Amino acid sequence: MKSISTSSSAPRIERRRFLAVAGGLALLAAMPATRAQGRGLSPVPGTPPAPPLRLLDADDKPVDLAKYRGRVVLVNFWATWCPPCRKEFPSLGRVRKLFKPAEFEVLAVNVGEDPDTVFSFAGNTEFPVLFDRDAKAMAGWPVRGLPTTLLVDRQGRLAFRATGGREFDDPEIVAAIRQLLNS
Amino acid sequence: MKVHLLAALALLAGGGFPARAEGDIEWRHRATRGAATLSANPLGGAALTSFYTARGFSEATIRPYARACSFSFGMRNGGAATLTTRLADWQAIDADGRRIALRPPAEWDAAWDKAGVAQAARIAFRWAQFQAENVFEPGDWIMGMATLAATPAGPFRLVAKYRDDKGNHEIDLDQLVCAKD
Repeated sequence: MKSISTSSSAPRIERRRFLAVAGGLALLAAMPATRAQGRGLSPVPGTPPAPPLRLLDADDKPVDLAKYRGRVVLVNFWATWCPPCRKEFPSLGRVRKLFKPAEFEVLAVNVGEDPDTVFSFAGNTEFPVLFDRDAKAMAGWPVRGLPTTLLVDRQGRLAFRATGGREFDDPEIVAAIRQLLNS
Repeated sequence: MKVHLLAALALLAGGGFPARAEGDIEWRHRATRGAATLSANPLGGAALTSFYTARGFSEATIRPYARACSFSFGMRNGGAATLTTRLADWQAIDADGRRIALRPPAEWDAAWDKAGVAQAARIAFRWAQFQAENVFEPGDWIMGMATLAATPAGPFRLVAKYRDDKGNHEIDLDQLVCAKD
């Protein structure tokens, strides 16, 4: 279980939090695409090695993708202000539950936000949420937009990708994960 | 402040315009050409100001963007081939035939750099835009905001070009109107 510490409830911070939530909701309303998810995953040509990914999690503990070698890892780049990211986020937890932790993990890489903001949306998650505050880690990855998801195989290679929202417990995506687990 | 923002939310959520449904989604404008579907909604200044000030912009800094003719775009690749788009190839054409380009996101970012906008705000801005160049693999669905380089006086047509393995194509969205708030 990952937890994210919250700050004191000073009025200024409460106002900022309200504005952050209201601003996000305003965008949700203005960009009513929360149900417009894409489908499936695309193979990554040549299955290149995954770029390095070493970031702090919500407990300020370092997490290194390289330490997950031998497992299939779903790496999801996201932000709380991004409507498709918000829509697909619960499905990250659902798909994680379909597999054994020793075989499959989800790493949700938040881009450019602070733990308070992320916690106000995500709460406690069963999978690591990593913080790429300056977006420098993401810059090394083939990210074309948010959300972007990459499936890393047991050998640490980029096997599948998706740009735009998905429902990760969709049978097509679950089958892709099983394919990597069985290969 | 809360009342103001909640009122803005109610206006935005209410829609009040002729929507075209896609599942339970309502877009004011939507068109399909081949495998590509493009949707658009106008974005008002109040919503843009609320969103970007919550991400770290000052009201003064974001004002030019919030006053521009802004839209959210969503584009889906429903086919089996890869699609690509370049925002530089998209144009608005007004009733008098004048052509207006879309402003490249990098131009806005240069302004934010000059204004000393905080890094976190610039990251949010950058990734909230419809990217200058996009690649849509099969099944991909990408959304983002974009502004016109000038505001048309009235309704206009957006000509959005994309490319696939068979060549260049266009999707037209007709009767677009900038938000007025």
